[in-house]
Amino acid sequence: MAEQVIPTKKMPPGLQVENIDDRIMTLNVGPQHPGSGHMRIIVKIDGDYIVDADPDPGYVHRGEEKMAESRNYITNIPHLERPVIHDSCNILYPYVLGVEDLVGIEVPERAKYVRVIAAELNRCIYIQYWLAIYGIFLGHSTMFMWPAGDRELLIDLMEKITGARVTHAYFIPGGVRNDVPANFEDVCLRQVNYFEKRIKEYADIFYDNPILKARTEDTGVLSREDAIRLGTTGSVLRASGVDYDLRIKEPYDVYDELDVHTNVLKSGDSYARSKIPWLDMLESCNIIRQALEKMPKSGSIRTKLKPNPKGREDEVYRRVESGRGSAGCHIISRGKPEPYRLKLSVSSFRNLIALPYLLKGEKLGNMPAVYWSLNYWPVEADR
Amino acid sequence: MGTATGIIKALNSGIKHLAVKRFTLRYPEQKLKFVGDGYQFDPASGVAIAGLKGRHMLFHDHCTGCQLCSIACEGVAEAIAMVKVPDKWGQNAKSIMPQIDYGKCVFCGLCVDACPFYALYMSNDYELSSFTKEGLIYTPAQLQVKPQVQQDSELIIDKRGARHG
Repeated sequence: MAEQVIPTKKMPPGLQVENIDDRIMTLNVGPQHPGSGHMRIIVKIDGDYIVDADPDPGYVHRGEEKMAESRNYITNIPHLERPVIHDSCNILYPYVLGVEDLVGIEVPERAKYVRVIAAELNRCIYIQYWLAIYGIFLGHSTMFMWPAGDRELLIDLMEKITGARVTHAYFIPGGVRNDVPANFEDVCLRQVNYFEKRIKEYADIFYDNPILKARTEDTGVLSREDAIRLGTTGSVLRASGVDYDLRIKEPYDVYDELDVHTNVLKSGDSYARSKIPWLDMLESCNIIRQALEKMPKSGSIRTKLKPNPKGREDEVYRRVESGRGSAGCHIISRGKPEPYRLKLSVSSFRNLIALPYLLKGEKLGNMPAVYWSLNYWPVEADR
Repeated sequence: MGTATGIIKALNSGIKHLAVKRFTLRYPEQKLKFVGDGYQFDPASGVAIAGLKGRHMLFHDHCTGCQLCSIACEGVAEAIAMVKVPDKWGQNAKSIMPQIDYGKCVFCGLCVDACPFYALYMSNDYELSSFTKEGLIYTPAQLQVKPQVQQDSELIIDKRGARHG
């Protein structure tokens, strides 16, 4: 047997010769695998059990923050929604709120309601897509087809409002770009009601299904203390029993006038983390119905903005509850038409830190169930 | 709930779908109907009109060659180039009009918002695929043509589920 060569020079981490243990095997999950979603998880397994997991994001880094520094406040809109094209209204929301603070413009009342409706519809569209992938991760093909099909109902609505099916570029500092079409309230109410009826059917086939429960209950348990300590947000935090929702804690636009309930589950396992987004969708349907009722029937929807607005010399941080958790935007302005620095604080990256803790001691077969239950979107984490 | 009951309930909720109408759209034969004639912008009120953001429509008799659409596209997609047109228009001294490369366009519609002369709209035409990259570049003459599209299928929701008809 050849003697192990140990380099004298200190090598970069990827090239170091590891101490070889006969029992432990290193496995690269991703980045090509469609399920892992443009990211790699380096898992060390002992037999079937995971002893160590190291998430390795960064394969789809696009430099959104640097790009924003050379574009003006309006031109930034189409590219800033690219990190999460399925949730493009919510990822744009904090940026738009921040620019409104910097430029100092008021938003008309009707525009605020239209924004809330668009954001809630978009949240459902995102969660449906996420749920479809969660279904196929667990080998449940029906749960891939149903959400992917029912998502069309809401995509159809968003296309009626914004004119685009996924990347809407709809929110703009000062309101929204165009008014909702005539007769929209009736169409929206009918489709949202049908959508709610459809997603309630998911309970029988998926959430109350004993096979799913056996698969996901008591896997990847995140305790309440750990969830707070690791700084997780959104559905991961609420599945661990912490009642924290920015729509209630820091209401933006008109969320303080609407009756918003949060869903909290205590167990903190993969099952709870996969159920919270589904309960959020049911709550979103309630919010949309309330907003449609309270929305002013007519009025302005956009405050006129100068062609190349300059922000005052200040910095601003705004955050909203997106489909995955809190999405924040920190803008530093130096009185120029473009931001001096723009930082996106996204929930995907913050939730990913919990993954090594959750996977330790799990079976390898449970890895997709735990990984995707973190409500993770790789492109958003890389920005 | 026992394991057996749970599995039977799950199977049952799938079997119910045998009686539900097909939801999928049969695309080349059926095409979705959109609201309005497409995305348009009214510079007087500063608000746009809802509609699909599809292929652009250029009105040669309104375009002044001011390049505002091209400037709006800088930093977004840089898809718009100003090119010379052979015809002479009174309002267009330099005889330049936008030419749009749909290989680059992201259909955000900011160029339509920038046009102060009602010259640029977006139409309902979304079938823009081409065998060559050059085929995706639409000259001002091509952008002038109003698309002939048959879009009539709407989403119907009734007791037997949602379907396109």
